[in-house]
Amino acid sequence: MNLAQIDRRWIFVIVFLAVALPLLFPIGLVGEVSPRTQTMHDLIEALPRGATVIISFDCEAASWPEIGPVAEALVEHTMQRGIRIIGTSFLSEGTALGFELLSRHADAADYVQGRDWVYLGFRPQYVAAILGLGESITQEYPRDYINQPSEDHTLLGAVRSYRDVALVISIADDTMPQYWIEYAGARYGVKIAAGLSAVMVTTFTPYLDSGQLQALIGGLKGAAEYERLLGREGAGSRGMDAQSSAHLAIIVLVIIGNVAYFRGRGRS
Amino acid sequence: MSDAGIWLAAIGTLAIFSFLYRDNPAYRAAEQILVGLSVGYLVVITVRTTLVPKVALPILDGDPWGIVAAVWVLLMWTRVSTRAGWLSRLPLAVIVGAGAGLSIPAMLKARVLSQLGAVIRPEIDVNAVVGAIGVLATLSYFYFTRPPTGAFRVAARTGTWFLMVFFGATFGYTIMSRLSLLIGRTEFLLGDWLGLL
Repeated sequence: MNLAQIDRRWIFVIVFLAVALPLLFPIGLVGEVSPRTQTMHDLIEALPRGATVIISFDCEAASWPEIGPVAEALVEHTMQRGIRIIGTSFLSEGTALGFELLSRHADAADYVQGRDWVYLGFRPQYVAAILGLGESITQEYPRDYINQPSEDHTLLGAVRSYRDVALVISIADDTMPQYWIEYAGARYGVKIAAGLSAVMVTTFTPYLDSGQLQALIGGLKGAAEYERLLGREGAGSRGMDAQSSAHLAIIVLVIIGNVAYFRGRGRS
Repeated sequence: MSDAGIWLAAIGTLAIFSFLYRDNPAYRAAEQILVGLSVGYLVVITVRTTLVPKVALPILDGDPWGIVAAVWVLLMWTRVSTRAGWLSRLPLAVIVGAGAGLSIPAMLKARVLSQLGAVIRPEIDVNAVVGAIGVLATLSYFYFTRPPTGAFRVAARTGTWFLMVFFGATFGYTIMSRLSLLIGRTEFLLGDWLGLL
């Protein structure tokens, strides 16, 4: 049988089964918490109760299955610590997702909207918006996501700009944390952290090494590690069995593909 | 999510996955619905959260800056006219000028100077040495002014190895990322839709 001639749709079936079977019959693989995830956890743990963080949902709906568990874990931990949250979004699809997530966790944590958390919503032209937040949050966002005047919120009466913000966390599936680093971090000196899709981790690791990014966690694996630190099982942990078996399947397929290639080349 | 919402999402997911078998009308319909919804949502949310509070409400309140913003927006639309199209260059010039003025120093500081500072650091350990060698070797690969010969060739070849390591790591993370999306949708289909989880 010539392996090079196999219909590629069989590969899709194999990968799907490698993902679906561990979801149906969990193995319960437990991974170690990486130092990178631990750093993010420690960063939020070190913030004093009553501090304010900006959490920006800079992601599209398509990447939510991956980035959502990251956002869930970070928001849950932030609220557990009694830290106030200002939510924003610079990608339109992330706006409603961020609001739904924050609302759900706020209800569970007895957070009062306007006092403990505010959702400012979407703003196009993110560079101008990031810079505007450094001058005046209420001027940049005269009204919040639910159309309330921003000046009416007690939280925004006390937190006027980055000067009053302890940390910015960008939940991103693309390069948005770079703009936070350049325009909020480098210009206003506010600390930046990121919850990223795995594909962006290598892009932002150099910023972590240079200290421009305080911490980052990446992808479903990062979410699973963070859930472990929070002492609960969530979407991240549930996905680890499937991810591990799918990785194994892909490794086997890569080996088979290479063997087939070199055998074919030898014959020719 | 309501039952109807779950069914709609499941049908949409299966329609997109059907492309893996072959291109078909269900896939194309789902793709176009997705694009249409995304653009429609962007327009609505931009109007509701930006144009109304930043332009319309200030104008109604008699704020002159609201009028300036509205005129600036309208000038952009003059591009559709052959006679008045030149007026659109005014707001574009401001956007380009302000954008360059803001971004050049910010990018120079964040992307070049701070990153360079992290490479040239006083404490010397294995990571610092490997990082410095990697930066110099990779830069020499992209130095095209003289042909790569002698020691320079060795440096450039070393740079390709560092690049390969970066591409390999990025590819690995990309697979992980894409699998996470597949896991999310599979979990939805098996759990929320079929109730098997």
